[in-house]
Amino acid sequence: MAQASSDAVPRLERRDARAFMAAGGAFATLFLLALPTFGTAYTQNVLIQMFTFVALASSWNIISGFTGYMSFGHVAFFGLGAYTYALLVTRAAVAWPLAVLAGGVLATALAAAIGLTCLRLRGHYFAIATLGLGEALRIAVLGWDDVTGGGNGILLTPVKELVSSYYGMALVAALAIGLSWAVARSRFGLSLLAIREGEIAAGMLGINTTACKLWAFMLSAVVPGMAGALHGRFIGFIEPASIFAVLITVQMAVFALFGGRGTVSGPILGTCLLFLFQEQVWARFPYLHLFIFGLVLVLIVLLMPKGLLGLLEDRGWIAKGVVR
Amino acid sequence: MTESLLTVTDLVKRFGGVSALDGCSLKVARGNITGLIGPNGSGKTTLFNLICGLDTPDAGQIVFRGERLDRRPPHAIARLGVGRTFQLIQVFPELTALDNMMAAARDGSWGQSRARALELLAFVNLTQLRGERAGNLSFGQQKLLEFARMLMSDPGLLLLDEPAAGVNRVLLERLLDHIQALREQGKTIVIVEHDMNVVMNLCDWVCVMDQGRLLLEGPPEVVREDPRVIEAYFGR
Repeated sequence: MAQASSDAVPRLERRDARAFMAAGGAFATLFLLALPTFGTAYTQNVLIQMFTFVALASSWNIISGFTGYMSFGHVAFFGLGAYTYALLVTRAAVAWPLAVLAGGVLATALAAAIGLTCLRLRGHYFAIATLGLGEALRIAVLGWDDVTGGGNGILLTPVKELVSSYYGMALVAALAIGLSWAVARSRFGLSLLAIREGEIAAGMLGINTTACKLWAFMLSAVVPGMAGALHGRFIGFIEPASIFAVLITVQMAVFALFGGRGTVSGPILGTCLLFLFQEQVWARFPYLHLFIFGLVLVLIVLLMPKGLLGLLEDRGWIAKGVVR
Repeated sequence: MTESLLTVTDLVKRFGGVSALDGCSLKVARGNITGLIGPNGSGKTTLFNLICGLDTPDAGQIVFRGERLDRRPPHAIARLGVGRTFQLIQVFPELTALDNMMAAARDGSWGQSRARALELLAFVNLTQLRGERAGNLSFGQQKLLEFARMLMSDPGLLLLDEPAAGVNRVLLERLLDHIQALREQGKTIVIVEHDMNVVMNLCDWVCVMDQGRLLLEGPPEVVREDPRVIEAYFGR
């Protein structure tokens, strides 16, 4: 088993892993904080989008990676945040940071309402309900055109500088990482993993599975609501088809699964690698990029269902349960 | 008879037209190992599921330490002190053995829980494997892990669904020793078991179920000799 290979290959043990991750994290943080002083506009644009997806993938991971309950409609929270922001700013002249927070609050409230009805049951109902959620919201926004502008969308005051978007989105990404770190190292997080691994047994051990799932779902919606709001502010124009795009949910899921579900570092790792890959493919093969991306997905699911971190663990290159 | 810890009264559970339990009543005495036997389909596992809250009864009641259990959710019943193992093992395969244990810790500090988890892993000889994923353990080791995990919250009543099934002789001896040790600690244990040797050697009291009801009960030596038991298993 894993024992044999661990003798041959030097393995990343707990203490080394912590030091390595702390050093790497500190370096990356300093570098990213300083980047607007020397980075090009293109680099900052790419990084803003990467922050967005780190925030989304890490959040999605809290419900779907930890508890195993697949949310196929997480874009609903992103879109709701964007529209909340746009309406508050254009119609009520609310200060933008407050409007961003309002996006997070409304997204959490929506998660509570959906979770209360769908998470009492075990199994696939949740996936199906959330799949409908994103689409239902898109159609509602489209139909309610005297408020939302329908298919014409909402045009926002252009933001000329990139710095506020850059640091704003970086902060939101940091919040998502902080939340998932807090979950991962808590008893609550372990309860969520237990639910994923065997919900009946988890209940029998005294874990209130319904309450845990509901909290996880609400926690997973906060940051996407805020990220949606900031995204709207950043691009300056929102309309239903692009803001509620199914592809956005697919991306958060794929990035999180590629890195390693139910871990803190997995979604970050997955987003960084796949997002850059996606950018390269998109730039070089404008007609084939979706096909290539799809092919990569199939390969991930077939060859490494536990993600990169799971693969490294199974190979015995890092000790089990060390990198979270 | 000594004081009863668990009292089941006139329990009825139907699945469609089939009555899995049809007015089942029985009492479990505190500190005893009670064997629950009966042919397939006599309602043993259904009874366990109702006690644990995995299903709600159509009629009747379940009282444990003076509290009604029926219609409570599983986690609430577990927190009242009911532990259970399954006929098909239910470890958390992708979590390490130690995390399996830690997931069952409800109160106390992280350090206290960890100390208890390690103590229980030592009790079932799994200390060496604490960092291994539960899914990589052998069948017998998983069975021991599930058993130890149930003990994390120190339940007063243990429901064991076929602990001896698929277990080799050596492991079985160890499992039986563990169960005996738990009785000496004052735990009340109910065992569903098909292996008659296990039932006769281990149990203080045996309840025989047939067609969703209690057919008869008594000390193992008496039950073994009763013609109705053989009849229930093999027909007239």
